[in-house]
This record gives sequence, structure tokens and C-alpha cells, in this order.
Amino acid sequence: MAADVYKQKNEDVPNGSLVPPDRQHAERSESPTPGLAQGTEPGAGQEGAMFVHAKSYEDLTGADNQDVIPRSPYQTEGAQDELTKMEEISKDFSELSTQLTGIALDLEEEIRQNEEDKLDLSPQASRRDSVLSGEEEEDVTMETWRMHQKHVFVLSEAGKPVYSRYGSEEALSSTMGVMMALVSFLEAEKNAIRSIHADGYKVVFVRRSPLVLVAVAKTRQSEQEIAQELLYIYYQIVSLLTWTQLNRIFQQKQNYDLRRLLAGSERITNNLIDLMARDPSFLMGAARCLPMPAGIRDAVSSCLQQAKAKSLVFAILLSKNQLVSLVRKKDQFLHPIDLHLLFNLISSSSSFREGEAWTPICLPKFNSSGFFHAHISYLEQNTDLCLVLISTDREDFFTVSDCKRKFQERLKKRGVYHALLEALHTPFYSASQVGIPELRHFIYKSKSSGLFTSPEIDVPYITEEEKERLLGLYQYLHSRAHNSSRPLHNIYYTGPNENLLAWVTSAFELYVCFSPLGTKATALTAVNKLMKWIRKEEDQLFILSPQTY
Amino acid sequence: MSGQRVDAKVVMLGKEYVGKTSLVERYVHNRFLVGPYQNTIGAAFVAKVMSVGGQTVTLGIWDTAGSERYEAMSRIYYRGAKAAIVCYDLTDSSSFQRAKFWVNELQNFEENCRIYLCGTKSDLLDEDRRKREIDFHDVQDYADEIKAELFETSSKTGQNVDELFQRVAEDYVSTAFEMSEEKGLDLNQKNPNTYFYSCCHH
Ligand SMILES: Nc1nc2c(ncn2[C@@H]2O[C@H](COP(=O)(O)OP(=O)(O)O)[C@@H](O)[C@H]2O)c(=O)[nH]1
Ligand SMILES: [Mg+2]
Repeated sequence: MAADVYKQKNEDVPNGSLVPPDRQHAERSESPTPGLAQGTEPGAGQEGAMFVHAKSYEDLTGADNQDVIPRSPYQTEGAQDELTKMEEISKDFSELSTQLTGIALDLEEEIRQNEEDKLDLSPQASRRDSVLSGEEEEDVTMETWRMHQKHVFVLSEAGKPVYSRYGSEEALSSTMGVMMALVSFLEAEKNAIRSIHADGYKVVFVRRSPLVLVAVAKTRQSEQEIAQELLYIYYQIVSLLTWTQLNRIFQQKQNYDLRRLLAGSERITNNLIDLMARDPSFLMGAARCLPMPAGIRDAVSSCLQQAKAKSLVFAILLSKNQLVSLVRKKDQFLHPIDLHLLFNLISSSSSFREGEAWTPICLPKFNSSGFFHAHISYLEQNTDLCLVLISTDREDFFTVSDCKRKFQERLKKRGVYHALLEALHTPFYSASQVGIPELRHFIYKSKSSGLFTSPEIDVPYITEEEKERLLGLYQYLHSRAHNSSRPLHNIYYTGPNENLLAWVTSAFELYVCFSPLGTKATALTAVNKLMKWIRKEEDQLFILSPQTY
Repeated sequence: MSGQRVDAKVVMLGKEYVGKTSLVERYVHNRFLVGPYQNTIGAAFVAKVMSVGGQTVTLGIWDTAGSERYEAMSRIYYRGAKAAIVCYDLTDSSSFQRAKFWVNELQNFEENCRIYLCGTKSDLLDEDRRKREIDFHDVQDYADEIKAELFETSSKTGQNVDELFQRVAEDYVSTAFEMSEEKGLDLNQKNPNTYFYSCCHH
């Protein structure tokens, strides 16, 4: 077993393939099609999913229209209409192109506008860096705070400041007073979302009683996306306090100053906002897997599964916001939002590198009324491998700590520990491994598993700005694809710097970035090839056999 | 596979930012980390083996966050503790008020827990004596009143840090010895009240 595992080094495998042919699943369809049923797409787990099924913006849509998935006229229905041939897909896209000129123009314009903005933004960009590194509070009387790309405020329904992304909440409370006036028109509805556009800004309000969250954004993001980010911040606060406690506090005292209880958590919320701008996990509503040979992952998962304890509900092994393995109690499913909150918590503080942390945590989508206890520790001082053990019993620290020890011992005994560490050296693969010259980057999400895969963002997206710009383009396509009034399932966009393609079916979502030299025809061939490649590599790129207790 | 037993549970208490984590960091790893403040989330556990008069004692140290958020749950961290190091920042008088709060908690719920008051960041006073906001003699009187020991430490220079933990361990050993005399217990026998903490040695 061990020897077998060691052989599977990425570099040894020719043709950009990550896996030896004997590991591939012959029984799974090689060329997925739009008609592919959920659960058979590349990346779909063989024994069911680890996550709760999450739909894009599920929390933003009212309960009444939640079950109705709007269909575009371009989506095919029923087996007889299945688009199995490339000509048909290509016809589908060409039909779209007329309609999409508008979008392309509008997108280009926005990009151009953004580039112009960048010039006057630069002094403030460096300002932002100084804010993040230093502890000094910003002088709010300066105009600077208004020049930030996105402000986020959280306040209580009584108008008391709870959180502000930049500057001190105290000095901003007068501004907040103005905002409260704006919010008052929301009073009729309890969980309302509204937005206004002014001066090139989008102001988005999300009300989740007893809190009101406000974003003032200069980004290209849609209202839906901004509202979704605000909801994440709301859930972040709930994860620290529980929904029950949050409500009890404000029922007892309407003008309670919540900052007392949230003291020290600003770092976590700041980190969340920064992460949402960089990490596509949030946009995709899915978890990204660390690519590794399936044999090693399976061995790691079974070691993790064997180190169990009665009170354990979830065991999560991760490395820098990428999932390595997840074991869950049978019948218990994690929601991607809860997993993202855990990832964010861990990446927001280096304090977990010391000793073993044992902290109360609420997973709001799992159960917003109570706390779990999380045992958080790194496997070794100098690795990024972090183990999170979620327990129902706050008195169970030593039992849970023992599970970690058993897990580590078993890893070493089975000889997979080194292979695991090895896999961490190559946490990303390159888009060039797919073997499509014009392919620059892609994001592929398997809907049934709630997992996605994406290569490293590489040339020409070198700088942070360029990387965020690419993510911005994906965000834009995503928002077009999921627009609640008129969703699009196929989008092909040609721009001056790159061509992009989005393809959303009931089984998967695919966003691809090509060099601007390619044509639509080459893009379509490429997508077909890419899907085959993903299918071929799926057992490395995804967790196909998740374990349960 | 070898297990390691925790003999004495030690809990670090005190307001956020007084320097609890730095104290543990200095004692366990003999280092002082600079850089932006990293508040502790929940609590962190670390075991440290030390020797007292030829005998080895393993301290299981709980470094708590000190935030009000989980105050209601803080008992899980200090329950059954043999020693509590209640910290305050010598340059911040409000932190001493908070220290008194923890002393009260301990007196009410953990009678058998020894209290060690610890004034932190003494190096800041070496730079500028006017920074001292808590008088040594006032705290000494208070310490006598509550039967606590008093230390003033600096995690930055390491001053008095080893002395503090050494004292905690010595007191534990002598109390454990007294108890075993009284009750006629064998020191090597498992004490049902101590936790077992295992850690791997390869
Ligand atoms: N000058 C000085 N600074 C210290 C000392 N101990 C802690 N600090 C600083 O005080 C801040 C809070 O320390 P930390 O140990 O994280 O506090 P905790 O919240 O009580 O755990 C950090 O910025 C430390 O660098 C000390 O002995 N001397
Ligand atoms: Mg601390």
C-alpha cells in the first residue's frame, strides 16, 4: 500500500495527466454534457455529498420562489433534447452571441471605467495597506475613508454601531445616523434587502433582525453579490455569539453596545471581507480541494475516520483554505457557508499555531442556536496542515485532543504522512497541464459535491490587482448567470484582454478564461477538452469517497 | 505510543491584551513574538514538563482569551485548576479591576485553586517609571488579603517569568506531598482528579 502511494508523484506522469491510467473510473461518462444529471458530473462524490445542498443566493431569495429555479430558453429540457454533440453546443452559443453584445459592451465599459479609477485610487490603495498593517485608527474626518472600494458597516436596529471596516465606529456613528434614516424605510419588512445607486456607488442594505448591514461599494459586483457578502458577515457575527444569544441580548436591551461582546473579532471580520475579494470559494458557494493522489487522500481520510470519539461531529483537515479531507457523522451535513467561516477563522489568526485551541463556535447554517466546541491545531509547527475537530461536548477536550494524536500516529504508521506533506508542496496545478494553449484559467464546480477546482492564477495575472480583476470578471459572469430575473446558462464574452466563457447546468458550473487571440470555435473545442480532462483527473481534484463516522 | 500525564492544571486569566499569551510563549518556547496583536480565540492548551527537586511535573497550561464574549463559559477552562495566574498590565489600571473580577470568580467556584497575581510588561516601566499605573505595595496588600502570591514580570526581557512558573510547580508538588501524607496516598498512584493528556514521542 505504502509503496504504491509513493509512486504517484505528479511529476512522473506524462501528458499533463495527474494520475496513472489505472486509477481512472472507466464507468463514469468521459464527455459530460449539459444534460448530465446531477450526481454524475465530474467531481460528484461516489457515496453522496459531504455538504448541504446550497444554491447560489439561497438566502437572498424569498421562501416562496426558492423552489422555482428559473430556466433560460437556452437550457435544454429532457433526455431527448440532450446536447451531446459539439455542433449543438456551438449553435447554442452563437444564438447567445447576439444577445450578449450588450453585456460585453457594458462589461468592457465597466472595466475601462475601473481602469480610469485606478489612477486616482493609487494613493488610497497604499493608504489601505498602512491601515491593515498598522494599528492606528484612521482619521475619519479625512475624505480618505470614502475613497475605499467597499465600506461595510454593521449596526443594531437601534442605530448603534457594531462594526465598521475602516476607521473607528465611534466617529462614524454620525454617518450611521444618516444611514439609519435611510434604513427606516425598510422598517416594514424584517429581513429586507434594498439597494440604492448614487454617485457611482451602490449602497446595499441587508436587514437581519436585530442587525442591519450596509455596504457602500464602488465595485462592479451586483447587488446580489454584495448582499451575499453582507450575509456572510452576519453569519460571521452569529458564529461568535449564536443567533439565540444575539436576539436575547437585544430583546433585553434595545440599545445594547454589541462591540463589547465582539471585542477582538474585528480582525476576523476584516479578514473575511478581504478573503471574499480574493478567494472564489465564496463566490462559488463551494469548497476548494487540495489536489492530491486519490490513494493518499483516501488513506488520510480513513486515518481520520478511525480517530473518532463519541462527541465528534466533523473532522476537517485543511491547508490554507483548501480542503484535504472531511469526515462527518452519518446523516450530518456541513453547509459550505459554515465551512467558509471556519476557514476564515483559521486564516485570520496566527494564534492557532501555538498549542491546541479549544473554542466555542456556532455553525449558523447547521444550527444557529448553539455552540459546538472546536479543537483547532496545526499538525506541525512549520506546515500549513490544520486539523479542526468539531465536538458537541465542551468538556471533552482531552478526548478530542487524543483523537488528533491517534490520527497523527496512524498517518505515520501507514506511511502516508510524508506523501501528505509532499502533496502540500504542490497545492496548485497549472492550467497549462490541461494542454490547451489558449486556456489561461478556469473554475469548475461540481454542484452535487459542493466542491470546486481551479488552477493557480498564473501569467498574465501576476499582481494582486490583476488577480482580483480576473476574479471580478468571474464575479460578473456569475452574477449574469445567476441573475434572478433573467439567468443565462451560456455566456461567451470577448474582451480586449481575455475571452471568457461561462456554462451553468443543473450539474455543474464552469467559468473559463482564454487568451484574447482565441475564437469562439476554439473556445468550444477547448471546453470539451477541458471537461474531459477534469473527468480524467477528478479523483485527484475532488474528494470522491468521503468518509463518515 | 506513549502517553503523558498532566499533573497540574494551570489557567491564565486576565483582561485581553495584558500579556497572557506572551507569558506562556516566553515560558514554553523562551521567545517573545513581535508583530501585530493576535488575540487568543477561545483558549489554547499547552503541556510543559518541568523538574522540581528532581521530580518531574507536567503543567497543563490553559491560556484563555479573556474576552467577555465567552465569560459565561470560562468555567470550563478554570474548573479543577490547581493554580491560576491572574494577569494585569502594570501600565493599565483598568486591567487590575478585571483581575479582581477573576479573583472573585475563583474564590467563589474554585476554592482549592492557588492564585498568583502577575503584573505584566515590567520592561515598560524600566523605560519610563511614570507609566506605572498600579502600585506594587497596594497589590501586595491585596495579595496578602486573598492569600495570593505576587509577581511582576516581563515577557519581553524574560524577567521573573521562569520564577513564576517554577513557583507554581513547587507549590503544587509540596501541596500534593502534604495531601498524600494526610490521606496516605501514594504519589505515583493515579489521581482520579487529574486529566490524562497524551502526546506523541517518536
Ligand atoms: N513591552 C512588552 N509588551 C508586552 C509584554 N507582554 C505582552 N506584550 C504585548 O502586549 C500585547 C498583548 O499581548 P498578549 O500576550 O497577546 O496578550 P493576551 O491578550 O493577554 O494574551 C502584545 O502586543 C504583546 O507584544 C511585555 O512583557 N512587554
Ligand atoms: Mg492571548
